[in-house]
Amino acid sequence: MKIIILLFSTFFYFSTVQASEVSEWFEKESNQFLEIIINKDGTESENYEKYKIFINKNFAVKSIAYGLIGENIINKSSENELSLYLEVFTDYLIKTIYKLANSRSGSIELKDVDVKDNIYIIKSIISDKKASANLYWKVVETGSSFKIIDVIVENTSYFVTKKSEFNKILRKNKGSLKALIAEIKKI
Amino acid sequence: MKKHLKVILLIISFSFLQINLSYSNEDAPLSSISYDEIYDPIEPINRAVLNFNFFIDDVAIRPIVKTYKFIAPEPIEKGVSNFFSNLKEPIRTISFIFQGEFYKSINSIGRFTINTLTSLGTFDLATRVGMEKNETDFGITLAKGGVSSGPYIVIPIIGPSNLRDFSGDVVEYFVDPISNNVPNREYIALGNGLNERAEIDEQLDRVRDASSDRYEMIKSIYYQNRNAQLEEEYIQNLPVPKIYIE
Repeated sequence: MKIIILLFSTFFYFSTVQASEVSEWFEKESNQFLEIIINKDGTESENYEKYKIFINKNFAVKSIAYGLIGENIINKSSENELSLYLEVFTDYLIKTIYKLANSRSGSIELKDVDVKDNIYIIKSIISDKKASANLYWKVVETGSSFKIIDVIVENTSYFVTKKSEFNKILRKNKGSLKALIAEIKKI
Repeated sequence: MKKHLKVILLIISFSFLQINLSYSNEDAPLSSISYDEIYDPIEPINRAVLNFNFFIDDVAIRPIVKTYKFIAPEPIEKGVSNFFSNLKEPIRTISFIFQGEFYKSINSIGRFTINTLTSLGTFDLATRVGMEKNETDFGITLAKGGVSSGPYIVIPIIGPSNLRDFSGDVVEYFVDPISNNVPNREYIALGNGLNERAEIDEQLDRVRDASSDRYEMIKSIYYQNRNAQLEEEYIQNLPVPKIYIE
């Protein structure tokens, strides 16, 4: 009985410590993100550069990019194709996040942290003068820090939405990664 | 009313028939959270209707909505939105009864009573006193009763739906105690439609230029939002990428 209580307490202790670590990381990075959104003093290319640094630091870009095309396409593509895809996708991710965030201002408030299958689900609320929206972040621990693998605004997941778009392009072009690269370059 | 009843029975029968059709068709998703292969057998027609909808929106609806949002102050917009939402509380009450959610059903009719008596529904006092709004409709009721979503369809002017949800909308149109008992119900339907369009104005603007395929994007967003209304742990169960070393 004592062992069970000890195990339970240890598990509870580590879960709490990890949840507080991820909360601390989130508070810091979300404040930085807000600063980038609000502070539009620089030129467009300077502001874009700030987004680029933020996304490369905090997003699990490779996991998202590879997750969107799936194992079959990864296995049949060459190293060169994959590295070109990763490069083009990184730019695409920055552009879409830039477009989504550019019209926003206000505050991000942390509400709750949940853990499922080693993935942290951070619930926050983004609000401005007009309205507020639920914003969920799915985050994984990568050694010394944390990386975002999905952003869910209200009920719409970035990963799920993009996966269905990418799947459609790949199906239409018989699984050609080149065709997908050409298509996402257009955005 | 007899004629209406026949239409309702026909739709419900067709929806239930869809359960067997869907299960016998391997292309149709069995799980409500299959996003990769949404059953869409009439995609070319749907795409044409979506393009038509965007055209109508560009030339007629969008300018009205933009003007309205420009002229109307924030509290007016909120009041109009509350008014139309309040009109739906009685039909939500009926839907919750069919779903066996009696507490939510009482909550809905209570909200309708409080908000109508205090402000004709323009101010949501009920939420302030702890009676939170719960969204539902007949499409959700059919889904909870085990009816599969059926094929994805884009309705002219109205927008994305599927056979089950569209059947639910038609049933609601005939059994809604409010719109069936007011004169000129068409005006209420029109006002409600414009209000709903105004509410998603920002999102729609983003969809226009943030996607390589807006048809797929809208379809995916529609299913994600419907599944969120059906599943308890929706956010937790959404698919995630496999983790690679970064």
